[in-house]
Amino acid sequence: MNQSTPLLSLQPGATGSIYAIHDMNPILRRRLYDLGVHEGSVVSMKQRGPFGGPVTLECNGQLLGIRVKEARGIEVSVC
Amino acid sequence: MSSFALVGNPNTGKTSLFNTLTTSYEYVGNWAGVTVEKKIGDLKEGGGQLVDLPGIYSLHPLSKDERVATQYLIEETPSALINIVDASQLERNLALSIQLLEYGRPIILGLNMMDVAKSRGIHVDIQKLQEQLGVPVIPLIARTGKGSSEILSTLKDFGAVDSPVLTLDYGAAEEAITDIEKMLTSIPNLPNHRWVALQLLAQNPVILQALSSQIDMAEVDAISNRCEAKLLQAGYISSLPEWIRSVRAGFIEKLCHTVLDRSTQKPHNLTERLDAILTHRYLGIPIFLVFMFLLFKVTFDWIGNPLSDLLDGFISGPVSDGINNALDAVGASSFTHALIVDGIVAGVGGVLVFIPQIFVLFFIISFVEDSGYMARVSLLMDSLMEAVGLNGKAFIPFIIGFGCNVPAVMSARSIEQPKDRLLTTLLIPLMSCSARLPVYALFAGVFFQSHQALVVLSMYVLGIAMALLLCKLFSSYLLKNEANVFIVELPPYRLPQGRSLMRGTWEKGKGFLRKAGTLILGGSVLIWFLSYTGPGGFGVEMDDSFLAKIGGLLATLLAPLGFGTWQAGASLLTGFLAKEIVVSTMNIIYHVPNMEGLQGQIALSFTPLQAYSFMAFVLLYTPCLATVGVIRKETSSWRWTVFSIGYALILAYLISLIIYQGGRLLGFS
Repeated sequence: MNQSTPLLSLQPGATGSIYAIHDMNPILRRRLYDLGVHEGSVVSMKQRGPFGGPVTLECNGQLLGIRVKEARGIEVSVC
Repeated sequence: MSSFALVGNPNTGKTSLFNTLTTSYEYVGNWAGVTVEKKIGDLKEGGGQLVDLPGIYSLHPLSKDERVATQYLIEETPSALINIVDASQLERNLALSIQLLEYGRPIILGLNMMDVAKSRGIHVDIQKLQEQLGVPVIPLIARTGKGSSEILSTLKDFGAVDSPVLTLDYGAAEEAITDIEKMLTSIPNLPNHRWVALQLLAQNPVILQALSSQIDMAEVDAISNRCEAKLLQAGYISSLPEWIRSVRAGFIEKLCHTVLDRSTQKPHNLTERLDAILTHRYLGIPIFLVFMFLLFKVTFDWIGNPLSDLLDGFISGPVSDGINNALDAVGASSFTHALIVDGIVAGVGGVLVFIPQIFVLFFIISFVEDSGYMARVSLLMDSLMEAVGLNGKAFIPFIIGFGCNVPAVMSARSIEQPKDRLLTTLLIPLMSCSARLPVYALFAGVFFQSHQALVVLSMYVLGIAMALLLCKLFSSYLLKNEANVFIVELPPYRLPQGRSLMRGTWEKGKGFLRKAGTLILGGSVLIWFLSYTGPGGFGVEMDDSFLAKIGGLLATLLAPLGFGTWQAGASLLTGFLAKEIVVSTMNIIYHVPNMEGLQGQIALSFTPLQAYSFMAFVLLYTPCLATVGVIRKETSSWRWTVFSIGYALILAYLISLIIYQGGRLLGFS
């Protein structure tokens, strides 16, 4: 397995599997879990938002948006 | 009588199915969190009631609407559950299904969005899924109603049989489950005890609360601590709730491995291409603004106003003449004649002529709701909303508020954090609802004929700007917010179906018509009566009427704003009932036969600057009676309700003062 990198370093269209999630608000973490985003799940970066706004991610065919500051806590290993 | 409940993840089509299975109609849309309250309807071919619950991902609620669903399951005993599952998102949806299967009531699994799954190359083996879970699985396309007759026929002979309860092996937690089950034996009216025990061990707050007075919670804690120690010993670092989740996740993974074939899966081509433009880093927001501008162009200049003129001609012509003739024919007294023609026809008719604009607006809002663009707007607006201390999701209630503030306040329930929800609720009345539209249409039609859409748009922008400003103010000083979070699910785009657009438009517009037949009718009669009577008796001159006296009390107060007449005072006062009544009142006061006549009167009584100041005042001043009611209900606090009225009055006064006095300084009149 490759070394882990921040999710935010992925180029739009690139995919990685979540290695760790740090310092995340518990409500958000629960919601992400509900949507199938947790350690081990495969996410891909879709798009950066306007004016430093939310990033769009895809996981299991589900598109979702979260803020950059929270996405910063997600580390992925590039597959 | 049997009752069935629809349960499933958000935005999986529960309400669409509800609408085809029952004789009632509820609000549908393409984003997570449309349904925020349980809805009850009668099944079409008889046989019981169907309950539509807000969408949930798990039984462990985060927001207020999700709590409704879990509460229902612990408090009621439905004859059977219909679990709607999105076939294109099977894995995620099954997390809830497992908890429902453990609940122990008979279940039908409705596998919805088969068309979406198929077009994305996802194949679900229905036969195998049915075998593995031991419950009937019915493929559905809820939007078109496909599969609903199978559901109805399955329900008919279903409620009586008990379906097997799904029992997973929770390994190291089994001992704790058995211990808790023992504690529950003496408590009556509980759902399946194993289910309750698992929910308690998973720290589900709703279940903990429901049982807190019936069992010893310290004992529950002790059991779970013992179990966690055991888990730790066995080498698992996770907490007990995490352990329970991971056992379920393991089961789902194995299940999906056998029933799901994704070898031909394709990406959301259309959705991704649209998103590349509509949520583009730089283009997204300009596109949204252009869209809003077009919305007003269509509502007013292009479609609404021409139709409205036709309708006005019809009401003031054939309808009024017909009523006059009929009254003459039956020899009505002059009192009755005045009541009907000057009161009811003027008051109600004056509002009804705006039906075209309001329906066009509702049609466009329905389109946004059904298409999936709504969730994208919240994504685009998040940076701006974060800067003022809220999150992008609050923008969804704001847009709904353009239609009507009442459902907008309700929809704020899907916002996760209580402070964000309160803040959103307080600010929604600043969103210019369709009831304020007749006032703008009337005044803009008189004073700003060449720039109607732009002037009306400026009212909406003023409302949003004030909401953002106050949001910053309230969140900095009043409702200091712990770091707010933002997460939004972006559903695939879909082309709204004509039928569902018509239905959505009609359901929203119906409320307006109903209001015209009740509140506005009653208000018009009351206003006319107050204008017809005075200290001097019946049939007095308008200027000597009670209405003039009452309005006159306000006139001095309103003078600095540019509209210190008793007429303006009286119409604003009555406008608290419903903002359209401002127009009704003016129609009655200036008793004129049609829009043209009223416009002429208003042109004499206001200057353009005064008119603009008046429009701003109508936009911002106190929420209408119905909105105040729903704010009270949703906040459960009189303090916040009074606050919402109070700040709005102060704000309206200040802004109108600035507009009028500032405008005069700049040389406008």
